[in-house]
Amino acid sequence: MTATTNHSTRDPAAGWHDPEALSALRALHRAGRLPAEYGSVRSLLSRMPAADLPAAGQLLARLDPKEVCRHAEVPVVTVTVTGHSTVAPLVAPLTAELARHGLLLEAKVSPYGAYLQDLMRPAAAGEEQPQLTLCLLDAHTVFDDVTVPWRAEDVEAAARAGLALLTGAVRTHQEAGRGLLVLNTVPLHRRHTHQLVDLRSRARLGAVWREFNSGLLSLAAQYPGVVTVDLDPLVAEGVVACEPRAAQYARARLSDALLAAYAREAAHVVRARLGRTRKCLVLDLDGTLWGGVLGEAGPGGIELGAGLRGEAFQEFQRTVRQLGAQGVLLAVSSKNDAELAGTTLRTHPGMVLREDDFVRVNANWKAKHDNLRDIADRLGLGLDSFVFVDDSTFECGLVGEQLPEVAVVRVDEEPALHPAALLADGWFDLFELTEADLERAGRYRTEARRQEFREDVGSYEDYLDGLGLEVDLRPPDESEIARVSQLTLRTNQFHLATERLQAAQVSAQMERPGHHVLAVRARDRFGDHGLVGALFLRRDGEVLRIDNFVLSCRVFARGIESACVAAVLRFARDTGASAVTGRCLPSPRNAAFASFYADHGFAPVGTDPDDPEAVFFRHELTGIAPAPAHLRLHAAFGPFDGDPT
Amino acid sequence: MTTALADIAEFRLLLEEELGLRVRADDLDRPLDDFPAWDSVLLLRLVTVVEDVVGRRVAVADVLQARTFRQMYEVVAGP
Repeated sequence: MTATTNHSTRDPAAGWHDPEALSALRALHRAGRLPAEYGSVRSLLSRMPAADLPAAGQLLARLDPKEVCRHAEVPVVTVTVTGHSTVAPLVAPLTAELARHGLLLEAKVSPYGAYLQDLMRPAAAGEEQPQLTLCLLDAHTVFDDVTVPWRAEDVEAAARAGLALLTGAVRTHQEAGRGLLVLNTVPLHRRHTHQLVDLRSRARLGAVWREFNSGLLSLAAQYPGVVTVDLDPLVAEGVVACEPRAAQYARARLSDALLAAYAREAAHVVRARLGRTRKCLVLDLDGTLWGGVLGEAGPGGIELGAGLRGEAFQEFQRTVRQLGAQGVLLAVSSKNDAELAGTTLRTHPGMVLREDDFVRVNANWKAKHDNLRDIADRLGLGLDSFVFVDDSTFECGLVGEQLPEVAVVRVDEEPALHPAALLADGWFDLFELTEADLERAGRYRTEARRQEFREDVGSYEDYLDGLGLEVDLRPPDESEIARVSQLTLRTNQFHLATERLQAAQVSAQMERPGHHVLAVRARDRFGDHGLVGALFLRRDGEVLRIDNFVLSCRVFARGIESACVAAVLRFARDTGASAVTGRCLPSPRNAAFASFYADHGFAPVGTDPDDPEAVFFRHELTGIAPAPAHLRLHAAFGPFDGDPT
Repeated sequence: MTTALADIAEFRLLLEEELGLRVRADDLDRPLDDFPAWDSVLLLRLVTVVEDVVGRRVAVADVLQARTFRQMYEVVAGP
């Protein structure tokens, strides 16, 4: 197998895109070894110039998916391709684009013009649903119903009728639960606009056309199972929308080039559908985030902010920041002096991104693939969720070779082209952004710093001392009740008397006389952990009962639980109680904390008459152990404790 | 990449490399209907590829009406 042998011995510095990749693929095809060697196809395609992908797709599309699966474990994606015109030419480019992601296409191609029937027919009994239906629309979706001579108003009527028909078909498809449906907006061609000679009508046609496309885009807002790929931005990049001869003679009304661009978008929809959206963007510094070599020119000498190229690098940083603001984790891997890189990120006046925008900055002299592995380990992410950007063909090649699961984006020496290079693939495409996505970076960033700090200090005690941990213990406010409920619903380990409470039940407990619900919040010098625990207390004569205590596993082993118990004991003593009891209900998951009360000066005093499995522990409030010295706890137990808050 | 279309052997190579279609020399005069793998989508792709290679326009309607690979070659190779 000459192809892969050549590949692995090739000097990565020779270039990132490999002009020989297609020849290597052809050699495999000639030798009849493509099915058996399918595992190597992905890495061949990752370095193939985009212009060669359709040719590769032609060869790959001829393979029998079943035969490929006999040789390799490749995830198969079943796709129905339908549409208004001839849609079969999509299969080859889509095969190539999916193969770039290590996926194997099993396509079912509908006959010419069968889209409405495909969308509306009921699923046959026992019929397997495709994972995805691609419904390709083109200008004839409207113009088929327009006859010569026509005016803009005629197109408007046809567009409205067409959209109504399609909307009905989409509704039927979605209500029948037939899976993800991908539509597209339809380019308006000059050969249509310029059949109208008066400019006012021509403008009207343009407006009518956009209304049709706007209706198609709205369908995606209406149905969660519908994606509308907007072809306008693809055409705006200079992709020819239609090849008149193919359109005329073969009813293939979207050009090969546009289908190739569309296939790239569709493949990312598939990735998102499979939960394979990438999460982390790792960037080089010199030549990528700024111009010049920091180690040689110094912070004052790099191109950033000032000057034409300096502004271009800033523009790229804005693009990166925009991604970061949507939950993409940003990191740096740079061959640079750590201190110099850190200072520059922190203080350079031209920086748009700041050190804080990165969850991890690895500036050192180690190999980049080792740094990527390190970043992945620290973030607890797989390398298959990484995208790596560098201007050096050597670094790109080496990372591509060592870590084939990482998506590599090579930017070149022209910074004005960096944003387009980064966005050429929708690596971070997902269906909907959630709160969790928006908070992700902050959470990872603080955790990474905490971990780094822990590695730097000698002992665990030193680590705790240096954390600067602060804990608040006070009743939750209205907005925090949902989070308290969530903690009881989801926490299994440190959940001493496991009791699942809906938000309304939490509120009810708070209002009951003699009951206290206390939220535990924690923060340290690295960041805010937020609301991480809750205590459920009840006054019973002279005894203060801890009915339940729940703490998120994110903050175990930092003394927070001990400090909380110490605060409860002091509160009980100060408000005239004679003892505190703790209730422990063993569950399959909380065994590790069965001796929690015993470890904190409580003595077991018997089981709960209402639930013999539950054990009561009692503290007589003599010799209350002090709270751990490494943290500061602020307690405010609420209206009954005489506390002004 | 094929760089020219000097003779019908080059055409056969192009069919194999670009379309994944193996056509033996003695199959060139057989009717296209005998090749179940052949379809009009491949033909469109062929036109694109040939125009790239020879650098001039191919008469698509004529190629579509060819009955054998040899007839097809004669159209795309030009006069």
